Amino acid sequence: MIAHIARKERTEMWRDGRFRVASIALLLLLAVALLTGLTASRSTARDHEAAQEAMRGFWVNQGAKNPHSAAHYGLWVFKPSLPLSFVDHGVDAYTGVTTWLEAHKQNEFTRRPAMDRPSVARFGEWTAAAVLQLLVPLLIVMLAFPAFAGERDTGTLRQLAAIGVPMRTLMLGKATGIASALAVVLVPATVLGVATLWLGADGGRGTDDLMRFALLSATYLLYFAVVLVLALVVSARARNVRTALVVLLGFWTLNSLVAPRAVADLARQFFPTPSSVAFQAAMQRDIEQGLDGHNPADSRRKTVEAQALREYRAVSLDALPVNFDAIAMQASEEYANTVFDRHFGALYDQYRAQNTLTQWAGLVSPLLAVRSLSMGLAGTDVEQHRHFAVQAELYRRGLIKWTNDYFRDNTRTGEWDWKAPPELWAKYPPFEYEAPLFGQSLATQRTALLVLGAWLLLSVGLLVRAPALPVV
Amino acid sequence: MFALMIARYHYYKINGATVPPTTQPLMSSIVIAAPSRGALPANATTPRLAARGLTKRYGDVTALDALDLTIAAGEVYCLLGANGAGKSTTINLFLNFVAPSAGAAEVCGIDVTRDPLQAKRHIAYIPETVMLYKQLTALENLEYFAGLAADEPLSRDTLVAHLREVGLRDEQIQQRVGGFSKGMRQKVGIAIAVARHADVLLLDEPTSGLDPKASNEFSALIAQLRDRGAAVLMATHDLFRAKESGTRVGIMKRGKLVAQMATADIGHADLEQLYLTHMHD
Repeated sequence: MIAHIARKERTEMWRDGRFRVASIALLLLLAVALLTGLTASRSTARDHEAAQEAMRGFWVNQGAKNPHSAAHYGLWVFKPSLPLSFVDHGVDAYTGVTTWLEAHKQNEFTRRPAMDRPSVARFGEWTAAAVLQLLVPLLIVMLAFPAFAGERDTGTLRQLAAIGVPMRTLMLGKATGIASALAVVLVPATVLGVATLWLGADGGRGTDDLMRFALLSATYLLYFAVVLVLALVVSARARNVRTALVVLLGFWTLNSLVAPRAVADLARQFFPTPSSVAFQAAMQRDIEQGLDGHNPADSRRKTVEAQALREYRAVSLDALPVNFDAIAMQASEEYANTVFDRHFGALYDQYRAQNTLTQWAGLVSPLLAVRSLSMGLAGTDVEQHRHFAVQAELYRRGLIKWTNDYFRDNTRTGEWDWKAPPELWAKYPPFEYEAPLFGQSLATQRTALLVLGAWLLLSVGLLVRAPALPVV
Repeated sequence: MFALMIARYHYYKINGATVPPTTQPLMSSIVIAAPSRGALPANATTPRLAARGLTKRYGDVTALDALDLTIAAGEVYCLLGANGAGKSTTINLFLNFVAPSAGAAEVCGIDVTRDPLQAKRHIAYIPETVMLYKQLTALENLEYFAGLAADEPLSRDTLVAHLREVGLRDEQIQQRVGGFSKGMRQKVGIAIAVARHADVLLLDEPTSGLDPKASNEFSALIAQLRDRGAAVLMATHDLFRAKESGTRVGIMKRGKLVAQMATADIGHADLEQLYLTHMHD
């Protein structure tokens, strides 16, 4: 009987020109968003790759130079896009994808695309994620709001109730019918998504990307199922079709437009983060309490000097077989690193707390959990950003230590004019970012998965315990 | 028997469905085949419809007051009364659309509040205007409604034949019902009842607003269903139709059944006089 009801729903919907127009328009929007996303993603990846190559070239070809000067010369590194980032750009535009690695400083990410955007961009980016998160649920609402309320208004619900169709059967039949109509949009979109992923694949992470894509698809399908069941339940309980439409549009507005912004503000209230200026100022204060590797008069430098003399059994800096300036600079770096770890760690912990709160808020607005999963699986969330920032910082620390160690071992104290041979720079390996694997990304989304699971259970419960049909 | 009936026709195809190539049948020629009955209670003497002390109150208002009524197979019982007399409430109680405050409503011996789904297997309901899905054709509407009730899907040939039996022309059968007149919709409603082999018909002012010809056609169809053994409970304002179609009439006033009689025992004028007398009391 469920298939019988579903077939009728599908036939009715398909004959309604509004559905045909809306579904074709949505499919086109989704296809264009996927393809433009892929094109933009590949173009950005190419630009980043070229820039990274150029940076490597500058580094390798900087000629004979003092190692510490080379450390100050530094280099840019770029966060590579994961193959699924064409679906959901996430927070990349706001966090930035590039940072400058140099001696003494862990820099914040700069050149954020959001800073260059026109004000209209505040309304959101046109990505596949935006279509899936905003427009598909809207289409579901438009298809489902009259499912019961409309039949009550026209009187056909009385006919069905008189026949004795069980509400659960009717609910399942209508859900199946609407879902199969939506398949007209979603199946081609999924095929296109797989094809796009395949086109964008650079090899090496194939299985990981497919698992990400599979879970991403499942997440969205689950979300659509939740919205569909909620819409049907509202339609079944609403007094008339107008009430059902108003309630469901209200839900869509709150869930899609209001909740993401309101919860983000709430999260900032509960877990505040400092402004960039305050953050830098606090970090600078702490660094100044440490060792100034460049200042021979610094009193803390004397402690390091005493340690070095003890270690090398020397009586003076001139008697040291190594360059004490390099030792002092490395000590300064290591002190600064503890400051960076404390400040950046605290900052990212606040971001994580904000994200966890947002994920839990998904219990009220399921889209919040879906957005978190979508960004997490696409590799464009804050956790992925932190993962990259940590790897970039570890590379920076390794590079600076390498230059300091080379300077220390090949010169004596005070030989600031000494220059390392030009072929030296190529010996330090280029920066290679290893993105987190599927399981690692999933671990940061446990709350979102739990919340989405709760919505699924609620939906199943609502379907199984469908209310009696009020028909009079 | 139905199979024998349709075998008389020469078949041809309409949109994939095999239908008899006859012209629009005259009402006099409409023959509704006797159904192969669904599961009925073992006791054949069980009334098809029974109200036992059936009462419905809405707060302080008593919409139906201890109605006792039985309707046997082959009977057409017409409930007369002014608006608010309790006619539609009675039908809604038999359909389990509302729960009784006291008493019981039974369909083929099944208490509708205890086992509504089983009870409704025996019922066909035709309201004042049969509401259909306007995007679907008459045939698709029948296919849908009949399919919801049937244990096994009915063939399109059978459904087309049912629609022809109630007087729809071939082109109307394949036409979306959005443009159907009320009379045509009522015919589809009857076709649904026929296709479902309903033992009980609950009709809530089904001829209200129909022109005399359509009303007469409708009554003829009801009479045929009655002749094949269906029990019919019809709420109506139409005294003439009640006298013509009914085997018994009951007059309701303020939720009570104040009078009932066999239509054979009373003339048109007497029925009108009796009705007006009760209305003026």
